[in-house]
Amino acid sequence: MDAKLITFGETAMDRLVQWLRSNGEPKTIEELLQQYLEILSRSVMEEAE
Amino acid sequence: MTAAPTTSDADQKLADEIYQLMVAQGALFALDAPIRQSLTNLAEFLAPRYKRDQAAMAEAIDAALSNDSRFTREVVGDEVRFVTSRRGAYVARDEVDTHSFKQRLHEPENPLPIDDISVVVSTSRPAITTVEPVYISDYWQIQAGLIPSQEEEPLHEEAPAAPEPVAEPVAEPAAAPVELTPEPVVEPVAAAPEPEPVVAAEVVPPAEAEAAPIAPEPEPAAVEPVAPEPVVPEPAPAVVEPTPAKPAPARPFERSTIFTLPDGTPIDLRRGVPALLEEYGEQLAALLAEKIEQDPLRRIVSFGRKYFPEAAVASLGKNDLRKIRDYIIERNEPLLDTELIADLYYHNPNKSDYEGFRFSLNYRLHREKDFEFVGVEGAYLWSTKGLPAVGGKRVKAAEMGQLTSFLVEGYDDSLEIQSAESVRQSGSVTRLLSFFEWEYGVLPLDATLAALLPGPVLPEQRSAALRFESPQHYSSHLVEVRYPTGNRGGWLQGLEEFFHEHLVPGAMITITRTGEPNVFQISYEEAGETSDRILTLDEKKNKLGFTNLTYYCVADADQVPSQSKYPRLNRLKSFPMGERRKAEMILEHVAQTMGEQIGTRSEPRYAITMDDLLMGFNVLRPGSKALLTHLLEHGEAFSPDETTPGLFIYAPPPSDEEEEPEEEDEELLEEVQPARRRRGGRYDEDE
Repeated sequence: MDAKLITFGETAMDRLVQWLRSNGEPKTIEELLQQYLEILSRSVMEEAE
Repeated sequence: MTAAPTTSDADQKLADEIYQLMVAQGALFALDAPIRQSLTNLAEFLAPRYKRDQAAMAEAIDAALSNDSRFTREVVGDEVRFVTSRRGAYVARDEVDTHSFKQRLHEPENPLPIDDISVVVSTSRPAITTVEPVYISDYWQIQAGLIPSQEEEPLHEEAPAAPEPVAEPVAEPAAAPVELTPEPVVEPVAAAPEPEPVVAAEVVPPAEAEAAPIAPEPEPAAVEPVAPEPVVPEPAPAVVEPTPAKPAPARPFERSTIFTLPDGTPIDLRRGVPALLEEYGEQLAALLAEKIEQDPLRRIVSFGRKYFPEAAVASLGKNDLRKIRDYIIERNEPLLDTELIADLYYHNPNKSDYEGFRFSLNYRLHREKDFEFVGVEGAYLWSTKGLPAVGGKRVKAAEMGQLTSFLVEGYDDSLEIQSAESVRQSGSVTRLLSFFEWEYGVLPLDATLAALLPGPVLPEQRSAALRFESPQHYSSHLVEVRYPTGNRGGWLQGLEEFFHEHLVPGAMITITRTGEPNVFQISYEEAGETSDRILTLDEKKNKLGFTNLTYYCVADADQVPSQSKYPRLNRLKSFPMGERRKAEMILEHVAQTMGEQIGTRSEPRYAITMDDLLMGFNVLRPGSKALLTHLLEHGEAFSPDETTPGLFIYAPPPSDEEEEPEEEDEELLEEVQPARRRRGGRYDEDE
């Protein structure tokens, strides 16, 4: 994915929801943020490499 | 087409042609519909084209089509016809319906019972659906030109200049090989392997040959021998570094890893998640929380600090809610979410779905108007309609909020004695008890108490239920913390019983944090028996008076409202709570009642010290020294005495009303005989 297309808080949110659901436990915003950044990084880096 | 023709070539061609003709004739027919044509018509049509006579043509057609599997020969009367279909050989449609669903639907094997009409027809009205606004993301709004793009500038800045030189030397020599010589000078870095003018000139022709088809002859000569020879030997010794490999991955890498936040902050994902969290953690967390809140699909919902997918939130029916409400009322106090789950749902905390269910319970109860969240972080407590008010109803919440409004208006001086940091570190607050606090069992939520007590979990949360335990008496008291809202201050209520049982106004109390987030300890320093005539309020007569009290706690003698030290306190009028919010009026009343008359009867003037003012003021309502100082400075009727520091003169404005009769003063001076207190085990009736 091209990072220029990322809208923070909208792009790849479905993947964050998926992760949260598969986890089964409520999470704090800090945990969500960390996971969300990892999702974004993964999408961008995979594409870049 | 289903079958291949099996006749000779001539017949097959003829059959194909006729098939095409007939398919064209039935172009709009269904695929399996029959297309008929008579032999006569076919012969009449094709005879001129094949330059044969009609009979011979008919014979040939008959022979060709009879042997072709796509056609079926029919004889109707004297007429020979051929039938085909667009799908090939015509097969008559099978009209037999083998499906039995229709029959089964109307005549089921096990018919349903005949229900009462009330079971079938619902009398309840369905909820009216509301049209919710559709949220359009910034991305699409930018695409549609509704809002300006914010991403352009930083991306241009970040875009590396290195990749460009790579493209230039390749493209330009192809167009004009003559200009190749100066080009390498301009871009020295990226074009390092190809700067040699001689080499470049020789290497280029292959590219040029592909682009320009003008000269076919030099092409093979230029491509074949030149390309391998100069590239291999010459650049290798000249430039050893493997520079061509570097720019290739860097080019897309740098361009595509930076995105910008709405405020223009560029976020480079190459830096790694920990580094990003360290630098932008708070900003990104706030933004993510905001975006989750704005999500029109509400895919993630939150309660307190926790987030959970909406689709995974368990639902609670009306029976569940009624069960929870009944249980809270039965226990007669706010209950923890964990208690509700354990006692009503028997969920094991070790189960994997426990936390999810706990979130669901809190989230669902939060959306119900019959329930109120009164918990703190780490202890989620729920209250419901029908529970008795904590601390009684002697002081209404609206009135108390106004009485403590001075705390949010900047007159909170509690931190002068003990800083918020020391309160947080020590986990305890020590303070004096004023008469108002003692009488009504309330404590203003000043800065020191706010530093000690937990804050609200939810933004709209207005109160929290805490438990105050007294290790000296093994008693426990439910205390409600009312958080400040807008221009109204906060306070604690529910300590009336403890104060009246064990303390007197002027006593020193200590509130200490415990291991539980919603449990605190309240204690005081014990002392020997002391008896004194202390100010009390007779609720029935609504009058203040002195009563003999015996107490066993350490108290500041200057702060105890005793008759010996403050003999005029009982003259204070117990105003209705609604009027006590007028701080200026209360201050004037205190000055007039407790002050020393130093003027004349026609022009009275009252001298009173700040300490007496503070004492009297705190009998009628809570107030700080900072508030009184402000009122004294801005009150036109007050002026500081120039000779005696700390003494103030109150000169009430002249009024047309006549002086109150002397009898009233005398009446006030009489000792009020208060009725026996509610739990007044230690109050002695006046002799």
